[in-house]
Amino acid sequence: MFVNRSMTKKVITIGPDTDIFSARDLMEKHHIRHLPVVREDGCLVGMITDRDLRSVIPYEFSSISGKDHRKTSEQEGLARKIEDVMTTHLIKISPLDTIQDALLLIQRSKVGALPVVDDQNKLQGIISVRDLLRAFINVLGIGEPGTLLCILVEEKVGQLKKIVDAVTEDGISLGSVLVARYWDEKKRAVFCYLLTLNVRDIKKKLVDLGFDLLDPMQWYMDQLPEPD
Amino acid sequence: MKKTGFLYDERYLLHDTGPYHPEIPDRLQAIYQGISEAGLLDDLILIKASMPNVKWVEAVHDPEYIHRFEEVCFSGKKTFDYPDNQMCTETFETAMLAVGGILDTADRVMRGEIDNAFCAVRPPGHHAETDRALGFCYFNNVAICARYLTDKWQVKRVGIVDFDVHHGNGTQHIFEQDPKVFYYSIHEHPSFAYPGTGREFETGNSKGHGFTKNSPILPGQGDEEYKHLMERDLFPAFERFDPQVILVSAGFDAHMEDHLADMNLSTDGFSWIMERLVEMAEIYADGKIISVLEGGYNLDRLPELAKNHMEILLQK
Repeated sequence: MFVNRSMTKKVITIGPDTDIFSARDLMEKHHIRHLPVVREDGCLVGMITDRDLRSVIPYEFSSISGKDHRKTSEQEGLARKIEDVMTTHLIKISPLDTIQDALLLIQRSKVGALPVVDDQNKLQGIISVRDLLRAFINVLGIGEPGTLLCILVEEKVGQLKKIVDAVTEDGISLGSVLVARYWDEKKRAVFCYLLTLNVRDIKKKLVDLGFDLLDPMQWYMDQLPEPD
Repeated sequence: MKKTGFLYDERYLLHDTGPYHPEIPDRLQAIYQGISEAGLLDDLILIKASMPNVKWVEAVHDPEYIHRFEEVCFSGKKTFDYPDNQMCTETFETAMLAVGGILDTADRVMRGEIDNAFCAVRPPGHHAETDRALGFCYFNNVAICARYLTDKWQVKRVGIVDFDVHHGNGTQHIFEQDPKVFYYSIHEHPSFAYPGTGREFETGNSKGHGFTKNSPILPGQGDEEYKHLMERDLFPAFERFDPQVILVSAGFDAHMEDHLADMNLSTDGFSWIMERLVEMAEIYADGKIISVLEGGYNLDRLPELAKNHMEILLQK
């Protein structure tokens, strides 16, 4: 669950004294939107995004390639350097921070990617929303064939054990288990991803044990529905 | 009335999945009973199981996988890789006999001896991947048949329609790069049902891009939504693709009384689907349509569903 296991390690970077058109070409070539700006000693000094570039490259030059453009723009005094336009108020993360740290930090700071730096401010990698999604898909277990059930349980000790016991007795493997809040504060919604096609018997068993199986159309993982 | 083949063999009952499994021999007996009690057997051309040339199984599955399946089966183990795949010592042979029977049926259709057919076989096939048994499936029956048609019979365009409530991940993966085989599946949305694939954005890749189409349906939906999605997604796709043979992965588990999933398709809804498929076979494929059993677990509903399915093929 650490950033260094999920980050992209082969990072495309750019130097601070490069011109903005080269940065744009680099992003287009590699289909990326974030470029860490790194000094020769490997230290991170800034970040530049495709949005930053769009706001500094005049529209009439946007379709000309960097090479041709450098000439024209040098003549016109438009060849600005990365260090003039990059973001220097950096939101960074450490390789030993966790995926959860990265999720919360990205959500709070409203950025698409975080540079990963060590104690000496040397760039170690970059972690993007895409990297986090990959980690989350893995956590959910949905890369493997299975069936999701949503079980409503009383908010009291031992409920999850009963569910896991029932599933285990039936020889079913668990892909993942998520416990989410439910609008009724005395209850929790337990999402079990079961690695089986055969859910008929386990569903019946859970009902017999006194659990409510929530109608799939009433599942909410991201919000709390209003009670009727 | 059509010359309709009916592949059925008591040897398909020998694949024993134990006492707590939904995919049981009784399913086939229920299907046979529904067809025989309706007096349809006299109208049908009965086809028996046979062993296939293993090279056609290898045209889809890795030889190592086939070998491993055989070994595990004869070793007496009760499961193969996943607890879903319950087996007995007869499972390998039953799975081979299913493939052989289907290929024999395909030959008869291609030679013009019969117009169309329903293959009531076990085990089912559409979850089986080239190298992995999944969700009660060992050999991908329909995929092997499609490959047989393109390779042996030089069929240029095979259209597969899979209306089992679960997405046919195996069939899709086997043909997702192959423009000769169009795979269409309508199934419960993968966020709610096994196996978790078959989303709308899965449309095939490389040369096969555009030759896979999925219509996921949200839980609880029934006849109207099935009609709407098939009219929107399947009909225009087959009009463009113009299949020369239609293969059907016929699963009856989207039925409202089938508890392996959450759909609300009625008995009449199944008939509507099959009527449209037979119509499409008439328009594009000179009537050539071969239906192969996949899922469907409600023993009380299967007789009538199978009877209707057969009557629609017979066009009696």
